[in-house]
Amino acid sequence: MTGLAKSELLQLQLHLQTATIACTDRCLYQGAKWVAELLNALPTSSVEEPPGYGSDTDIDSPTSEHQPVTPTPERGLNGDLNERKLEQKEMKRYLLAKTFFDCREFDRCASVFLPKTLPKGQAIPNPTSPHSSANLSQKALFLALYGRYMAGEKRKDEESEMILGPQDGGVTINKELNGISLTLEEWFSNRHSRGLEGDGWLEYLYGTILAKSKNEDLAKKWFVRSVHLYPYNWGAWLELSSLISTVEELSLLTEQLPQNIMTFIFHVYSSQELYQSTEQVHNELTQIQNIFPDSAFLKTQRALLFYHSKDYDEAESIFSQLLQSDPHRIDSLDNYSNILYVMELRPKLAFVAQLATTTDKFRPETCCVVGNYYSLKSEHEKAVMYFRRALTLDRNFLSAWTLMGHEYVEMKNTHAAIESYRRAVDVNRKDYRAWYGLGQTYEVLEMHSYALFYYQRAASLRPYDPKMWQAVGSCFGKVGKLMNGIRAYKRALVAGSYYDGGTGNSFGSEGFGGGILDPETLYAIALLYERLDDREECAAYMELVLSQEEGPEEDDLLGGGNERGGVGVTPTTSKARMWLARWEFMRGGYQRSMELANELCQDGVEVEDAKALVRDIRARLESEKEDGTRAAVEEVERKFGRKT
Amino acid sequence: MTRYLTPQKIGLLCLISLYCDGVVPSVSVIPVLSFILSHLEVAQFSSGKSKERVIGYGFFIPIRDFENLTMAHSSSVPGRTLFDLFLNKLWSINSLDSLHSFFDDLEQYLAKGRNVPHDVDNSELSNRDRILLSRTSPCGAYVRRAQLEFTRLQFDDAIKLWAAFFKYREPTTTAWKRRHPGTRTSVNDASIQDLDNSHDLFSIAMANLDIDDDQTGLVAADDIEAILDFQVQRLQRLGNRIPDEMKSQFRKMLTPSVATPSLLHFVRFFDAWRAGDYTSAFDNLHRYFDYTMHNRDKSYYHYALLHMAILHADFGCFDEAIATMSETIATARENQDLNCLNFSLSWLNHLNKAYPKRMKGTEYGGMIGSEREGIAFLKAKARESKNYALLSSTLLSEAKLRLSNGDTAPKALEQLFQSSHLNITHRITNNFGTQLLMLSALYGRIGLQHLSTSYCDLILDCYRDHSPVEEALRAICRNAFTAAQAGRFTQAMSIFQSIDPDVHRTLKFHQYLISFSGLLKLRRALRRSDITAISHLLLSLRAGCASDPDLLFQFSLLEIEHRLRQQDFPLALRKIEDVNADLENADTDIYQRIHLLILKAQLWAKVDRPELGFSLAMRAAALSWRSRILPALWEALGLVVGILNEMGECEAARGILASTIPHAIECGDLALVAHLHGHMATAHIGLAGKYISIPSSSPSTPSRATTPDFSPPVLTHLSRAEFFLDNALECYTHLEDVEGQCECLMKKSIVARVRGDEGVSEDWAQRYLDTRRKAEEEFGEDRGEAGMRI
Repeated sequence: MTGLAKSELLQLQLHLQTATIACTDRCLYQGAKWVAELLNALPTSSVEEPPGYGSDTDIDSPTSEHQPVTPTPERGLNGDLNERKLEQKEMKRYLLAKTFFDCREFDRCASVFLPKTLPKGQAIPNPTSPHSSANLSQKALFLALYGRYMAGEKRKDEESEMILGPQDGGVTINKELNGISLTLEEWFSNRHSRGLEGDGWLEYLYGTILAKSKNEDLAKKWFVRSVHLYPYNWGAWLELSSLISTVEELSLLTEQLPQNIMTFIFHVYSSQELYQSTEQVHNELTQIQNIFPDSAFLKTQRALLFYHSKDYDEAESIFSQLLQSDPHRIDSLDNYSNILYVMELRPKLAFVAQLATTTDKFRPETCCVVGNYYSLKSEHEKAVMYFRRALTLDRNFLSAWTLMGHEYVEMKNTHAAIESYRRAVDVNRKDYRAWYGLGQTYEVLEMHSYALFYYQRAASLRPYDPKMWQAVGSCFGKVGKLMNGIRAYKRALVAGSYYDGGTGNSFGSEGFGGGILDPETLYAIALLYERLDDREECAAYMELVLSQEEGPEEDDLLGGGNERGGVGVTPTTSKARMWLARWEFMRGGYQRSMELANELCQDGVEVEDAKALVRDIRARLESEKEDGTRAAVEEVERKFGRKT
Repeated sequence: MTRYLTPQKIGLLCLISLYCDGVVPSVSVIPVLSFILSHLEVAQFSSGKSKERVIGYGFFIPIRDFENLTMAHSSSVPGRTLFDLFLNKLWSINSLDSLHSFFDDLEQYLAKGRNVPHDVDNSELSNRDRILLSRTSPCGAYVRRAQLEFTRLQFDDAIKLWAAFFKYREPTTTAWKRRHPGTRTSVNDASIQDLDNSHDLFSIAMANLDIDDDQTGLVAADDIEAILDFQVQRLQRLGNRIPDEMKSQFRKMLTPSVATPSLLHFVRFFDAWRAGDYTSAFDNLHRYFDYTMHNRDKSYYHYALLHMAILHADFGCFDEAIATMSETIATARENQDLNCLNFSLSWLNHLNKAYPKRMKGTEYGGMIGSEREGIAFLKAKARESKNYALLSSTLLSEAKLRLSNGDTAPKALEQLFQSSHLNITHRITNNFGTQLLMLSALYGRIGLQHLSTSYCDLILDCYRDHSPVEEALRAICRNAFTAAQAGRFTQAMSIFQSIDPDVHRTLKFHQYLISFSGLLKLRRALRRSDITAISHLLLSLRAGCASDPDLLFQFSLLEIEHRLRQQDFPLALRKIEDVNADLENADTDIYQRIHLLILKAQLWAKVDRPELGFSLAMRAAALSWRSRILPALWEALGLVVGILNEMGECEAARGILASTIPHAIECGDLALVAHLHGHMATAHIGLAGKYISIPSSSPSTPSRATTPDFSPPVLTHLSRAEFFLDNALECYTHLEDVEGQCECLMKKSIVARVRGDEGVSEDWAQRYLDTRRKAEEEFGEDRGEAGMRI
């Protein structure tokens, strides 16, 4: 991938340009923005246009013959000509429709090209309607149907009324979906029966509508078809990515996809969304960044990868650079604010919030940043207010739902919290934080089996996050499935060590130094074993907890001499020590018990208990000694046969 | 624009926290605290009751003030002035976040409330050398209010506050840098100072907040409301207009904000009203109440109507005014708003008295019964509800009623003093002006002109700031009138010229002043027989005086006098009858009726039918005696004397005059004095004639024939007559009364001839002719002058 030839770069540039125009023509504003950004991220020096190379050459110019990256769409020249003739013919009407759309008069836009009423539900198909839509160019049809779809979305939002209000149950549906999908089905069957393919856009629309009506497999199929036909439509990729819920699915799907740069970007993006911050993904990203060195989007992806692997400093510095290079860019600032939140950089967060507010205070991202700031200041009511505002601006704004859930948890409003989290996972099922939050909330409500379910979902999304497994383990413990709990905890131990090995470097993050196991987890396992009456195992784990104080042996350390000691004395290790001391005491290992108790006294933790234990041991030892003396006396007496 | 917080308030909070930190040495505590308090007062009382405190304190504290204050004091930290510490405090707020923390940290300066448990002992230990503010102390309340307001701020408002504060702090940058040479370059925002291009980022973050504008962010909505309150008060109570520079500054303050306080419309309404801009006054009034309606529901509706009614009345639409007022009363009754009800009634009363004729036509009649009843009702109500302002003003109107009904002065005086007592004990500053004005009028009526003048001066010198502009104007006009009456016409005119030109910006006042000065000029022109000026003034005043009933009456008097002087007696008579008919219809001030009687009597005297005028003059004299309107009494007596002279009862006439003239001189009416002197001279001549006792024929022929050989009493009388004639002549000259002068000169010439001094008589006759000619020559000048003045 690295170092594309100049001609290839030119090619790419041309494609991106066309894609921007095509997106704009279809009123896909976000897609157009994305592509245009990417276009401008190409290194300028290498893409000097040779004289006479008209940038306005259209896509079907002879240059499109040598497209090494994109497979040539199998569209006949015939069909294309036909399309263009149609487009020419309806130019006036198209312009009208487009202006209507731009003025957000969606219904009017749709009615320019479509009959006033679309077939709804299972109505008898109007004999004229296929005819009429067949006579339209695909661009016009797309715009009209898209307008109809948007009108439905708008109405849906309006009917939902207030955020978390009585009408806002997340069940309101877009009433236009049915009609649009019927029209599209007809159109496609008509088209396919003539042996023709679409141009990719209508497939994208159909996919979106299928996805909205939860017909996900079919939707995926149509998206794949769409990106085959026209790969530069980022919207299709985004939708596709949102339908993938596991890594396996992603790898399966990748095989069906065309091999081009967009697929690469898609792959990186999806991996990021699935929290796969592996070396491989990083490499892929680096490769793409070679082509688009200035792309803010790609930089954001990199930062998010670091964020997922809890490498906050790195992520923060990337975002900080982005902020400096383009201070007016608000996209993904909410992620930045999450990072700053975790790092507790309050002044900086305040500044970012200020910057975003100055740029546009009515963007959901801005509201999220401000909400995060207030949350960090523990002003939860205000934070909720801003998250609500974000949601009013965009109901599908995922992070606001999750963050609002967090705030409600803080405010002890569990019902609202559950609803917020629920809405978050409805929007995006890959949001482990929301799943985890749901679990936490149910734990607060002491409904452990519910909590368990959600924790398991979170853990499946983040298999290498020990926190998830710990939560699962504790829930198992609480519902009495002790063995399962132990297994989950062990998994957490593994995950913890994986992170250390996997990323190789973890500055100041939660992970422990090489070979150090989380004493909390170990202690929890030990307690579970205790409940299983497996004292030996329990004791073994308690010993393990203790051993974490010092860390691994000197020669185990990789770098040698670097500061990777143990965790030191913590309340947990002290508790373990106490347990062990008692256990030894019970087993009669008074010497060891005494040692441990004295250590406890030295550490100054649970001194009273420890002292009591020491006294007990002394007493026991004394009595034993007494017993011993008495036994010895008896022995002697017996020996000497003294009789009394 | 924030609701309450402004950068200077942050500065004050910094100062308070310095004080609380205990770094202010005890010597400086008092100046620092008094500085703080003097500014807190603005904040605390602006919304409270005593609104007058607002005056005199600036809302805006420039940073230089802080600097001057703190620079002068050293702190308890060795080697540092208070200013250094203040700067440290000020600059420790170096980012938006630290602004938030600053407000959070204010909590530590407050003593724990009663319901906050005192569990954290160690924190209190560490606070031992810190001064804790009680939660209810002025500073404590201020700190708490500031905290609360900050919590209420939206995030972007907080940003605006930060930006404004940043801008406000700017002048101290050099001082700060000098004191901390080691600090990092960035003076912008500490949170981003480790970034490379922090300056660019910072300017972007502050970009939309137009830092260039001076006013932005420095005033809070709260301040603006206080200012508006103050303006409304001035407008409503004193009736002046907003100065232009204030207006423009106001506009500047309000432009950046989206939310315009509704009170602003009220201010605009008042301003437009005062300016005589009827349409926009209405527009703004409606706008104000439309905007106010939604937050203060319907309880202010009747106040809207009240203002509307007053507005209508001001522009002369009495029908509408009455209709609106009835609705006001109905609504006020519904809402049980006694204040509004009482005010409406007293206002109706007032209106009824001021425009009785117009009110008759508006089917108003039965609304509050007779005036006396109305006043009694109001008085009872005011006593009941302990509304002393109303009681005081009711007492005043009762006194006025008494005076105009011709009741005796003592009772009226008693009521005036009662009102004065109420004003002083309850600090009803609004009524001082009215009360003093009435007192002055009363003294004028009983002929104590100097007392009357001194009361007017009292208003102007002591109560000008507290009383409505209108009353001050009336006092000024009365002074001018007095001056003109005493013949000091130039002084009167200079009084008018010395009036603050701002007053003329209010249409009503402007009209009043113009009309009043026009009346004075008309009087002067009449005396000078300046025909062109007279006709010009008559024309222009006829329109101008219509608005004020008092002025209208004065004008009619002058018009009649003009006719009399022109010897157009039928017309004069008709005019008198007309005015009289008007007065008959309504129960007007007795003073006016007496004046008409006098005029009528004068008319008869002029047409040489004094007998007809005798009863009239006697009635006038009796009436004015009964109601103690002494100037009128002297005037009436003057007429009676003239008739007596005419009928040859010269001895009686002389007797009356001898006792009248001193009183008349005390009244300060020079014309009256001249008149009486003239009559006295006539009486003496008549007496002399009796001693000569020449058979009845024309008096001139025998005097020419016989040698001047008179008995001593005749000579005495003649010389006395000459003496009085000289006096009268002097007065007339002073008054520039050409007719009067000529009459005196003629009489003097006659007296001289009677004595036999032909030469002297010729001299006087010559002077008579000269005077006439001079007056005629002066017309030319006067014409131009009069044309210019009006």
